[in-house]
Amino acid sequence: MSKQAETNSPDETIELSLYKAHEKVYPREIKGRFQFKRKLAVWVLLGLFYVLPWITWGEQQAILFDLPQRRFYIFGLTLWPQDFIFLALMLIIAAFALFFFTALAGRLWCGYACPQTVWTEVFIWLEQWTEGNRNKRMKLDKGPWTREKILRKGSKQFLWITFALWTGFTFVGFFTPIKELAEHIWQWTMGPWETFWLFFYALATYGNAGFLREQVCLYMCPYARFQSAMFDKETLIISYDEQRGEPRMRGKKRRESEAPGDCIDCTMCVQVCPTGIDIRDGLQYECIACAACIDACDEVMEKSGMPKGLIKYTTENALQGKPTHILRPRTLIYMVILLGLVTAFGVSLANRSAIDMNVIHDRNSFYRVVDANTIENVYTLKVMNKGTEATEYAVQATGLDGLEVVLGLADQTVSAAPGELVIVPMKIRASKQVANQRIHGITVTVSDVAASGENTSENIKYFGYKK
Amino acid sequence: MSTEPISHNRDFNERQLKRIFWRRIGIVLWVSFFCAAVESMVFFALFDPAYLGQLSSFAVDLSPWQGYALGFAFFWAFTFLAALFAGVVLALPRTRLAKRNPHT
Ligand code: SF4
Ligand code: SF4
Repeated sequence: MSKQAETNSPDETIELSLYKAHEKVYPREIKGRFQFKRKLAVWVLLGLFYVLPWITWGEQQAILFDLPQRRFYIFGLTLWPQDFIFLALMLIIAAFALFFFTALAGRLWCGYACPQTVWTEVFIWLEQWTEGNRNKRMKLDKGPWTREKILRKGSKQFLWITFALWTGFTFVGFFTPIKELAEHIWQWTMGPWETFWLFFYALATYGNAGFLREQVCLYMCPYARFQSAMFDKETLIISYDEQRGEPRMRGKKRRESEAPGDCIDCTMCVQVCPTGIDIRDGLQYECIACAACIDACDEVMEKSGMPKGLIKYTTENALQGKPTHILRPRTLIYMVILLGLVTAFGVSLANRSAIDMNVIHDRNSFYRVVDANTIENVYTLKVMNKGTEATEYAVQATGLDGLEVVLGLADQTVSAAPGELVIVPMKIRASKQVANQRIHGITVTVSDVAASGENTSENIKYFGYKK
Repeated sequence: MSTEPISHNRDFNERQLKRIFWRRIGIVLWVSFFCAAVESMVFFALFDPAYLGQLSSFAVDLSPWQGYALGFAFFWAFTFLAALFAGVVLALPRTRLAKRNPHT
């Protein structure tokens, strides 16, 4: 075992840690410019999460993912299952944005925006309020179960559980109208699904942010494993300046030494680290780039009258004294792809039609003879109203002279409620003289009869009368 | 050549072995949960959960939520089996390597 413990490639670290009991990390609290930014990120992101479901837009909750009805409301925009492409595009955009920022600035996502980090932060705050700072927490855990320990641990659990339940409630509020949900809870009349998801999400928050914490990043997160693929020598990383810091020493040895390194070996950087690593050992895959060690060391450097930046954001190239380029093939390629995707998304969203249509030709016959002069093709027409109001549609066919559309409905228009899919038998008639080829291409257009005249069309085949 | 159980070629104690086992189960569960979630999202974006009940040879009345739950349970069961399979297959050669490794 001892031989293997010396190696520390990520794979082996993970392998090895499978055999080790987990040691609890007690991150020390720290203030500083990066921690200020992180705090800001927590407030903004969690603020959005907890407030958004309460906002209404028109008559509707502004953001509501109505799964039973299969429609998503996003600020006045209603997305149907047919709009799946937008969801897919959005996810791809998110992925490329992640690649782009990772190539540029390393694990920005992990340190500032990942829900895991953000919720863990809040849980640590709650822990600090109730159990005190790092030393107190460690003492408390080691000590016997006194009245104070019970009180402190009890109030921590109370805050954690309350916060987790509120989080679960808010989460469900994105999928079911949150005001109704609040009433249901008030009257204790929740449905089984609401109850299940509320407690499930609360439990997940409690477990991940309260207990698993850095273990989620170490063992569970797929991004943590492949993010290094986006790294190169010009990616911003958090690094200890070994040249300047070593040989580290403290106390008497330091005073007597002729040329001590700048690191006073106070281990502050280790104590503040939420993943419990020593950044002075070099870049490690456990590092989530939270920059807590930068803030800690800067404070130490300031107090001991040395320049800040013994630990800092830098790049591998900069450490080796080479220039760093923000624009380089890797970032440029990611950027171009990202811009392309965003443009495609914007354009297709702007051109998104509120009508969805589909025409299927009858399988049994190419055409039918109506009378001596006329033939007809039989189709099934599907029209879906993706708008928010009931609409009446007219159907037209073009592409050959004198095409006539006959719908299997009393009045020759299709009316559909919002979200309704209407399926209608449709015949298209033409004269034998005009439709005299084996196959013609024609166009069927479905248009809103109201003033807006919004329409969409589809090109279909028309089988003609050829002797 | 037979593969020996891990306990014979490394000096693990009972507790460590238990931990290895449960952590592996944990990984399999988590990986399959993650994949099942993604699969369900894609699947239900294309298919209405209400139709699930009509797919079988005997029609079942399913509420949308039951449809989602059923679909997710199916996906999770299958991804779980796949992950478990991969886990079992991956775990075997390592005991062999350990045997050949002069350091252990
Ligand atoms: S905080 Fe700075 S000075 Fe203290 S041990 Fe870490 S690197 Fe050295
Ligand atoms: S090494 Fe520094 S930046 Fe990395 S996780 Fe630890 S404290 Fe955060």
